[in-house]
Amino acid sequence: MYTINLLNTQFMNTELTSIGGAVCNETLSAGLIFAEGQSLTHQNKEALWEIFEAIGASWANTIYNSNNQRSSWYEMLKAKTENAPNYAGEYVNAIYVINELKAMYGTEDAYKKLFFESGIDNNAPPTTRLAHCKIYVVNEFIRMQITAGGFKSWGTKYDGEQARNYHGFLGGTRYNRTPRVRAYNPDTNNHKNDQE
Amino acid sequence: MKNQFDYIIVGGGVAAATTAKGLLEHRHDTSILILEAGPEIIAKDRRFWWDYITRGERPYTFTYDQKFEADSTGNIDYQTDGVRVKAYGGSTMHWGAWCLRFRPEDFNLFTNTGEGADWPINYEDLETYYNDAEAFLSVCGDDNANWVPRSKPYPVPPFEWTAADGEMIKAWEQLDVVYQDGDINPGTKNKIKSGKMPIARYRKCMTTGTCKYCPIGGRFNAQYVLDDLKNDTRFINFEVRINAPVHQVNASSKSKIESVTYTDNLSGNEYTVKGNTIILASGAYNVPKLLRASKNEFWKNGIGNDHDLVGRFVVSHSMLNVVGKAPSNPNGWFQEYDFPTLMSHSYNTKEHQKKGKIFMFKNRTTPNVDIAQLMIDGKTREEIDEIVYGEMTINIQAFLEEKGKYSNRLEAKPGKDRFGLPQTTVHFSRTEEEMKNANDRLKLLEQIIEKMGLEVISSRVDKPGGHHTTGTARMGTSPENSVTDKFMKVHDTDNLYVCSNAAFPTGSAVNPTLTLTAMAFRLVNHFIEKQTNQTNSKTNNVNKRNTIQECLSGESN
Ligand SMILES: Cc1cc2nc3c(=O)[nH]c(=O)nc-3n(C[C@H](O)[C@H](O)[C@H](O)COP(=O)(O)OP(=O)(O)OC[C@H]3O[C@@H](n4cnc5c(N)ncnc54)[C@H](O)[C@@H]3O)c2cc1C
Ligand code: SF4
Repeated sequence: MYTINLLNTQFMNTELTSIGGAVCNETLSAGLIFAEGQSLTHQNKEALWEIFEAIGASWANTIYNSNNQRSSWYEMLKAKTENAPNYAGEYVNAIYVINELKAMYGTEDAYKKLFFESGIDNNAPPTTRLAHCKIYVVNEFIRMQITAGGFKSWGTKYDGEQARNYHGFLGGTRYNRTPRVRAYNPDTNNHKNDQE
Repeated sequence: MKNQFDYIIVGGGVAAATTAKGLLEHRHDTSILILEAGPEIIAKDRRFWWDYITRGERPYTFTYDQKFEADSTGNIDYQTDGVRVKAYGGSTMHWGAWCLRFRPEDFNLFTNTGEGADWPINYEDLETYYNDAEAFLSVCGDDNANWVPRSKPYPVPPFEWTAADGEMIKAWEQLDVVYQDGDINPGTKNKIKSGKMPIARYRKCMTTGTCKYCPIGGRFNAQYVLDDLKNDTRFINFEVRINAPVHQVNASSKSKIESVTYTDNLSGNEYTVKGNTIILASGAYNVPKLLRASKNEFWKNGIGNDHDLVGRFVVSHSMLNVVGKAPSNPNGWFQEYDFPTLMSHSYNTKEHQKKGKIFMFKNRTTPNVDIAQLMIDGKTREEIDEIVYGEMTINIQAFLEEKGKYSNRLEAKPGKDRFGLPQTTVHFSRTEEEMKNANDRLKLLEQIIEKMGLEVISSRVDKPGGHHTTGTARMGTSPENSVTDKFMKVHDTDNLYVCSNAAFPTGSAVNPTLTLTAMAFRLVNHFIEKQTNQTNSKTNNVNKRNTIQECLSGESN
């Protein structure tokens, strides 16, 4: 049994994962779920936003909360559902998956399991509903969340300066007065640049 | 379909765009046809950008050369796969946009070292065109830099050094790397300061650092220039045909080049279009291949190839690469831009030419932690904190100058790619002495890493590749030593020009495109002067005729 699972994970995410029930573990082909011409309802978007917010809460890395990222997140959702290939099918699938996980484990643990204990191989083609949810939705939301400002909370731990820029972060025009990055200025005695 | 033009330009990259723009700005109704083998990739598209952010996908990678399409022979592997973008806009679709001038000694390599070649022009001949090129590409640079002589300030201020650059700057100072004798004012022991990397970024640049697919067009891309030219109502005779690989340049006599023949990849039909002047701007890979493929009764071995020099003397840069590790990163530093900000030209001077100059810079992505990937992998906040403030790697890199050798040659390999362009073979070898010099240079980089208090964990010379390929149709003083003359005109022709890195006799230690753009401006000026001379001689003839007629009719003003 162990050997078979190992072989399978090398090629695709078909092994029975340790989390979820019938919905999560239903098999699907690895490609994007076909959804051309479909769109998301308001309720769909709210359910997806909950996943996005849970990411910020789980890693405690959104300053205050995720609300300041809302417009960027909407813009991504729009770009991904109004142009081919359409992500609407993936987004609806993710809602099914999270609903099942919530029903089985309760909201807090559902997200904990999805983010930290899913057992999904992120590098293998996703062939279950759960794997689709993790790879096409959760992982992409995480990248978006970090890009949109989630990176900023790293840097300050030892009294350091907050990071200001990251690949993809729209920091505004470079000709406004705030420096765009943590800069090195040899003329000022910047003690934070002196590594102990 | 129109089939006669003032200028036909083969290739649709920055060389083509600069030349077309220059000619059209001078005379709005000039008729120009650009033939580009590749397709058009949509730029500034939000969906493409989000796919790049969330999935790392870029929409143009399918145009790259594949491994099986490019062979490499010789004692050094030469990388062609995954390098060039073959599409409308050419490789500026994904270039880094570092914009550095060559230095004066780069134009006199042979005189200074007895190896490689000299250019038929000097730095001074190109200096004002460098100013034009910097304005055109919108180069952000430091006016206080003193590593190369310049007569005008940069058009845009520089990007600042990042906090993580500081340690390397200090190490350079301690190792006297900044105090090498430059030859800006020979004999004066001028100090070359650590530099801020000059980069082509427009003022609107938002520093998002996803420059390989910029969402707003913040970084120069030849596509934008071509779009502007097509949309400008003044330029009614300007046309670009995409999916149109040229496979033959046709001559009506030894000196007169008459037309080019291309295939329309969408219909499969073949067309021949005539041009008064024909410019090959198809890149250092495809200029030599096209010249050699263009055999006819006047040019038995291909146009410009009577002396079997086309495709020879190929050079590129090898990247020297040293990585150091620190036990911790208490500031949680990472390189916050997607391009390097710190550079040094201390070993990019005349005194280092014999051994091979290097241009050093702190690598564009270190130090770095892919926080998002750690989250995707299911690491907790505490685990990620440990990684972010834990071990830090910093990478110093350098481009190593190569010298053109007769036996190193780029040529067509049988078979075509999916755009109808011939495949490639590069024969490239290095001598033992060159290998030793490269390793000596590595030692210097290792010293710098050690001076920063880091442990060297990797030190290597990476293979050269198509990124900065030059020399394959080099300029010179005669057909015996070169393919093109000082205006990049193919020797023994009247109207066939090369506008490409292919024409560079040396590759220097820095990236080529600013110099290419300056050369394109110089070429435009040459065409304008030619047009003016022709107009003057026509006017003189008309004046002469008028005088004769006046004499005959007995009238005079
Ligand atoms: C990854 C990468 C990063 C780089 N970064 C930098 C940098 O930071 N700074 C710098 O100075 N330089 C950089 N370069 C180099 C720079 O991209 C080139 O110098 C520059 O793009 C050359 O421009 P070009 O117009 O001569 O040729 P190209 O951009 O190669 O355009 C030539 C075009 O001609 C077309 N073509 C070829 N043959 C034919 C034919 N027979 N018929 C019709 N069309 C044809 C091709 O499809 C192509 O689109 C980089 C290159 C790469 C690959
Ligand atoms: S830094 Fe940002 S805005 Fe500037 S070129 Fe790069 S991606 Fe575009």
